[in-house]
Amino acid sequence: MTEIVTSQTPPILHGPSEKEKKYDRQLRLWAASGQAALESANLLLVNSGAGTVGVETLKNLVLPGIGKFTIVDDAVVNEADLGVNFFLDDSCLGQLRSECCTKLLQELNPEVQGDWFPKERGTLDIRDILESSPTFTLIMYTHPIAKESLSIIESYASQHKTPVISIHSAGFYSYFRISLPGTFPIVDTHPEVDKTTDLRLLNPWPELVEFAQSMTKDIDALDELEHGHLPYVVILLYYLEEWRQSHNGQNPISYNDKTAFSKFVLSKARTNNPEGGEENFQEAAVAINKNVKAPELEPGVQELFNHQISDEIELQSSFWVIAKAIEAFYRKHGCLPLPGSLPDMKAQSSVYVKLQSIYKEKARRDAQEVLETARVITGGKGIDPAEVDLFCKNARFVKLINATSTSEDLDAIYEAESANDEAAEAMKVETEGAFTLPMSNFFIYLALVATGHNPASTADEIISWITNALRKAAGNERALQAAQEVARAGGGELHNISALTGGMVAQEMIKIITKQYIPIENTCIFDGISSRCQVLRL
Amino acid sequence: MAAGRDTYNRLSLGPSLNANVKEARVLMVGAGGIGCELLKNLALSGFGEIHIVDLDTIDLSNLNRQFLFRHEHIKKSKALVAKEAAEKFNPNVKIVAHHANIKDAQFHVGWFRSFKLVFNALDNLEARRHVNRMCLAADVPLIESGTTGFNGQVQVIKRGVTACYDCTAKETPKSFPVCTIRSTPSQPIHCIVWGKSYLLNEIFGTSEDQASLDVTEDQENASEIAELKREAEALRKIRESVGTEQFPQMLFDKVFNTDITRLRSMKDMWKSREPPTPLEYESLVAQASEQFASKDEIIKDGQRIWTLEENLVVFNDSLDRLSKRMLKLIAARSEGMPQPTISFDKDDDDTLDFVAASANLRSHIFGIEAKSRFDIKQMAGNIIPAIATTNAIVAGLSVLESFKVLRGEYDKAKEVFLTPFAPQRLLGTDRSRLPNPECPVCSVYYTSLEVDPSRAKLDDLVEDFVKLQLGYGEKEFAVSSDAGLVYDPDLTDNLDKNLNDLGIKQNSFVTIVDEDDDDTFVNVVVNIQEAKLSDKPIKGLEDGQAPVIPRKPKKTLPILSNGVNSANGKIRKHDGDGEAPRNDKKRSRPDDAGPSPSKKAKAAEDDIVVIDDDAGTGAIEILD
Repeated sequence: MTEIVTSQTPPILHGPSEKEKKYDRQLRLWAASGQAALESANLLLVNSGAGTVGVETLKNLVLPGIGKFTIVDDAVVNEADLGVNFFLDDSCLGQLRSECCTKLLQELNPEVQGDWFPKERGTLDIRDILESSPTFTLIMYTHPIAKESLSIIESYASQHKTPVISIHSAGFYSYFRISLPGTFPIVDTHPEVDKTTDLRLLNPWPELVEFAQSMTKDIDALDELEHGHLPYVVILLYYLEEWRQSHNGQNPISYNDKTAFSKFVLSKARTNNPEGGEENFQEAAVAINKNVKAPELEPGVQELFNHQISDEIELQSSFWVIAKAIEAFYRKHGCLPLPGSLPDMKAQSSVYVKLQSIYKEKARRDAQEVLETARVITGGKGIDPAEVDLFCKNARFVKLINATSTSEDLDAIYEAESANDEAAEAMKVETEGAFTLPMSNFFIYLALVATGHNPASTADEIISWITNALRKAAGNERALQAAQEVARAGGGELHNISALTGGMVAQEMIKIITKQYIPIENTCIFDGISSRCQVLRL
Repeated sequence: MAAGRDTYNRLSLGPSLNANVKEARVLMVGAGGIGCELLKNLALSGFGEIHIVDLDTIDLSNLNRQFLFRHEHIKKSKALVAKEAAEKFNPNVKIVAHHANIKDAQFHVGWFRSFKLVFNALDNLEARRHVNRMCLAADVPLIESGTTGFNGQVQVIKRGVTACYDCTAKETPKSFPVCTIRSTPSQPIHCIVWGKSYLLNEIFGTSEDQASLDVTEDQENASEIAELKREAEALRKIRESVGTEQFPQMLFDKVFNTDITRLRSMKDMWKSREPPTPLEYESLVAQASEQFASKDEIIKDGQRIWTLEENLVVFNDSLDRLSKRMLKLIAARSEGMPQPTISFDKDDDDTLDFVAASANLRSHIFGIEAKSRFDIKQMAGNIIPAIATTNAIVAGLSVLESFKVLRGEYDKAKEVFLTPFAPQRLLGTDRSRLPNPECPVCSVYYTSLEVDPSRAKLDDLVEDFVKLQLGYGEKEFAVSSDAGLVYDPDLTDNLDKNLNDLGIKQNSFVTIVDEDDDDTFVNVVVNIQEAKLSDKPIKGLEDGQAPVIPRKPKKTLPILSNGVNSANGKIRKHDGDGEAPRNDKKRSRPDDAGPSPSKKAKAAEDDIVVIDDDAGTGAIEILD
């Protein structure tokens, strides 16, 4: 499992400081916890080639307040650099690109530390820099890169379990690839709000049942206001009971039963009022489809429970200890801990607040049970209750990234992608162009990788590299097109493509550093001619 | 020009497109988050001449993404600072900055027509709609873009070729019935709206400015509304005591005690609800002595939910700060100027603290949960999360689409969406939608007309221009100005009036609606240009240049739009696994200042609500 290395004490945001104001618009996406992780991160960029895409990526991380960055780049600024790199101006000509870019990037945000290497021309020693610097949180490098430099980075990353991102931008094409040193779990995945509701209508706990019964024990005698303000949770619990009694104890689970149940509930709304119906019953009918369902594990949680961990140290990490406690909870109760939130619904304020507290109290008790279980698991003694709370709240949407090792089998990927292209061609012919399927970007990736160490390759050289790596690709028309396009760029970057790519790379880096949201797995290939991305696991 | 600067551009764009780009004269509307990125990309892609229009000045909360600006630029013009910053990095590009509102008269249709293409980098619906219409009228291609948090979208708009911004309905702002806000709140948002739209406005702002309140009366609420009006008047009287020592208690007693006691006495109202409990100023002050001592720490801590006592402390302190400001404003006011006002601004701490504390005090009275200032800021301030990365992606996509526009390859133009919740793809592309034949904005025929302001009458426009030149002949039709209907077969009183007196002036748009059922012309939109004319008082088309006005489609025809459902403004499915349709019923709803169908603020909690703040858009509905 990847532990993101952060420096000793993450800075804490205080009050409505200038800083909090400055970062207001992003705090609303990743909260103070995400911001603290960003501010503790220490990034390394090993820059080479035309050198824009890496600097544009850094720009997008310096602005939101990354802790520290270091640029390693021994290039000297020339005229062509000025035309493509925004963080260089005329006064930089003839100077070290690493130094100039660092200084201009730092101007964007005085709170961010920046450093560069080499300090003098012609003295670059990557191994020495890596050994003498504080541990890096994350390393990115840009193509084309010298093979020796790459192997130094790779051995550092495997030793320190550092995530590495490689980036290549040339002409209208680009790709980036994320290598994580092991399984990468994310608890705070930020699922879409309307997916997170868990009302437990089919397996309510005693307090909820009791509350619903107390409100409905004489449902027909309720006055108009009380009846029109029954929360839909209460309505559904009441009529589910009635339904089961007339259906051999079975819940309405199938589509047909749900439709019938929905009609049944609506038929119970009072219509002898000016509105001719009741909004809360409407809400109840609408809620049936999503909320009347047996507890079921999301694929991500299934994967979590099935995951085999071989590494002893990883096994004792707080994440896996809590995961095991959650699994024990699930085995015992047949459901995950309750997240505890209650959606807005038509109800009297006091009733809504009471119902809300019933859900919250249950969530609190579930989390407490998980905490107690976790504390007796090896390595779980000092588990932080806040971490357990967060885990319980998000349990349904916890996600493992990079849980299985990637296949090196280019042949299999080639088969799948060329089959995709054939289907796309067939569709185009069949519908006379009215419908099109996206074509694979895999060949763009191959053509870029072919020039990963040597930007000046000709189309023929690229093709021969591709067919060498992948016999089956010999003669493939799309591989040829991609090779020609990459050769045409001659190793040059288009600022616009690099800026766009830098936006995407930085976005994924923020997800990895904050451990929030789900990063891509693991290679994103961008085609600027059709404005299209494809994500492949390579 | 230094050799080698555009080496890479020439290689990849090819000599023909590269030359095209260098000659292009483009307009960029908005120099904010997307604008900064876009300007950088345009400058480094070699665009020859870039005009920037932005009305806004730089704020601290811009600096986490708007990288052309620094701390020392706060309060300066975005357009001007952006120009200076970008010019440094590419001396070959000509940048012209306008610190002005894009709706100003100087930016007329003819001016829009002088650009090869226009980029929208805006943050509000109203300006987007305006630029959309101007570009349609000028027949200049527009690249529209927008972001919210991790979401974003880019779209190419070309008259008659692709769908325009208004081809899909946009969500209208939400408002609350006045009785919910003033008498029977049940959610934190109701109290926040009360603090912001009622209390702050009555004390420091333009009274009666209640855009987000629905004051529609009906039989049931008529007496309550009358009572509420009396209450508001009494509150306005208290306003005269601003700055006096008694003021905080006077205000507190009025809104948190007297008014509440009156409400509580309305027995009918509390049959099904908990009645509110008034607060006693003196006892609360006594209770809060400790909190008064640690005032500064409380005010600093906006993430935590304040206690009742802490809210009182913040209420008093912010009221004091606002009162002092008001006294200064009054003192500085020169003769004949209107009464100064302070209005809500989410980034103005004094107003935010006041609204947060007032809202929480009221919530306490009604047994509603309190909220942290951080949350209240989002709920009251219509805050749209914004980050550098999304802007970088969207601006890059805009420039890519502009290359296609410059080549005239509209068939290749794409609508691109960022799809952050589909991590297997990141970007979704759709081919551009066709124009919606029912679209009120782009399914019309655009033309222009020169009028002599001293002589031109409506009759000239109707008889000479519409009937003769446009060929309406004996058809029945109606003519509307921006203000409303000015002529139809039953409304002929205005014919003798000067166009100017009817509000039809330079840059006005006049719409002609064919009222015949058969062979119906599409609406014709006429852009008015004033000119000194020697012959007739109006000058439309050249003789013998009668236009071919398209006919409206028969109503029964289905809307064909590229196989994609564009009937509503919601995000559409794209490439197969787009996002689920939004559930925006009740109190949680997507962003409405948003630029685009796909733009939406994720409601982080059940009850985060977006309130439209634009004056005059208080379209109102009674919910209860």
